[in-house]
Amino acid sequence: MDCRAIRDLIGERWGEELPAEAREHLSQCAGCEAYWRRALFLQAGFHALAEETPPQASFGFASRLVRRLEEWDATGARSEFFETVGRRFVYATLALTLALLLSLALPSTGPVRGVAGADFLGLQSRNQALQPDVVGGETGDTHELNLGGPTE
Amino acid sequence: MARSEFDVSQEIEYIRRVQKGDGEAFGLLVEKYQQRIFSILFHLVRRRDEVEDLAQEVFFKAFRAIRSYNFQSSFATWLSRIAVNHCYDYLRKVRASRLSYYSEMTEESAHELERKAESPPPQGLDQGEKLALRDFVGRLLERAPEDDRIILSLKELEDYSVEEIADMLKLKTSTVKVRLHRARKRMLEDLGRWRQEGK
Repeated sequence: MDCRAIRDLIGERWGEELPAEAREHLSQCAGCEAYWRRALFLQAGFHALAEETPPQASFGFASRLVRRLEEWDATGARSEFFETVGRRFVYATLALTLALLLSLALPSTGPVRGVAGADFLGLQSRNQALQPDVVGGETGDTHELNLGGPTE
Repeated sequence: MARSEFDVSQEIEYIRRVQKGDGEAFGLLVEKYQQRIFSILFHLVRRRDEVEDLAQEVFFKAFRAIRSYNFQSSFATWLSRIAVNHCYDYLRKVRASRLSYYSEMTEESAHELERKAESPPPQGLDQGEKLALRDFVGRLLERAPEDDRIILSLKELEDYSVEEIADMLKLKTSTVKVRLHRARKRMLEDLGRWRQEGK
């Protein structure tokens, strides 16, 4: 048996006698022997802790509790209902505000929605360059533009 | 027969009455189970002065949740489950605001505890030594993570069987066994580390 197996065995057979093979290992391995002694120490500690008497309920504990419950039943349940409803209202308002803020803060374009902002700006300036000069008709190249009207 | 001693069929009747809002019937159930709950709370949180307040909160929760009790597990187990869950919440809260154990100890008391930890397996301890050992292991348990602390306390201090713990924590028995094994191992390692750090 190796050290790891011995330590697992100590954990598994907590409070029980170890088999002869394990005891033999302990007699030859200082590390495992110290581990085993720590286990015995802990077991004794748990035993001492378990012996500690828990406190007793004070006189009239149950009747005081029932009185409190009846008081709570009369007023607490109602106020708790309003508290719950109020809390839900606050959460809903917060969620709505957050959604609104997000919709304002996020760019109106994106990979999902369509052309990215930078591309959009680029397209816009390109379109401006291609726009025919309605006054003079001399600027820009209108060949690539389909303005919807008849072309000569 | 004491007011708190009644058989299973009576208990079922009381529970049904409480489910309809009968506070007096709940009082009878509280009387029957208060000591069990006090014991669990005391061993799990180890704060004698807070046990009664915690027990009140546990019974309060139980009263509010009793309509959801469907008689699948015993009432004692159901109530203990509420107590254990309440302890989880409490321990998490306390842990968040607690100083580390080392910083609370003076150098002298650390050496004293270390000396005790290095002593041979304690047998035939006198009352003073028992108290020191109890204090030492109690503090070691307080350092442990909540999961380890609760499962070890239920097994080693409250003496519940693996099956009872599984029922209480809504876990498989095999999971409880594994968790117990790991918790013991971690505690032994922690004890070893503590001794090394002190040297």
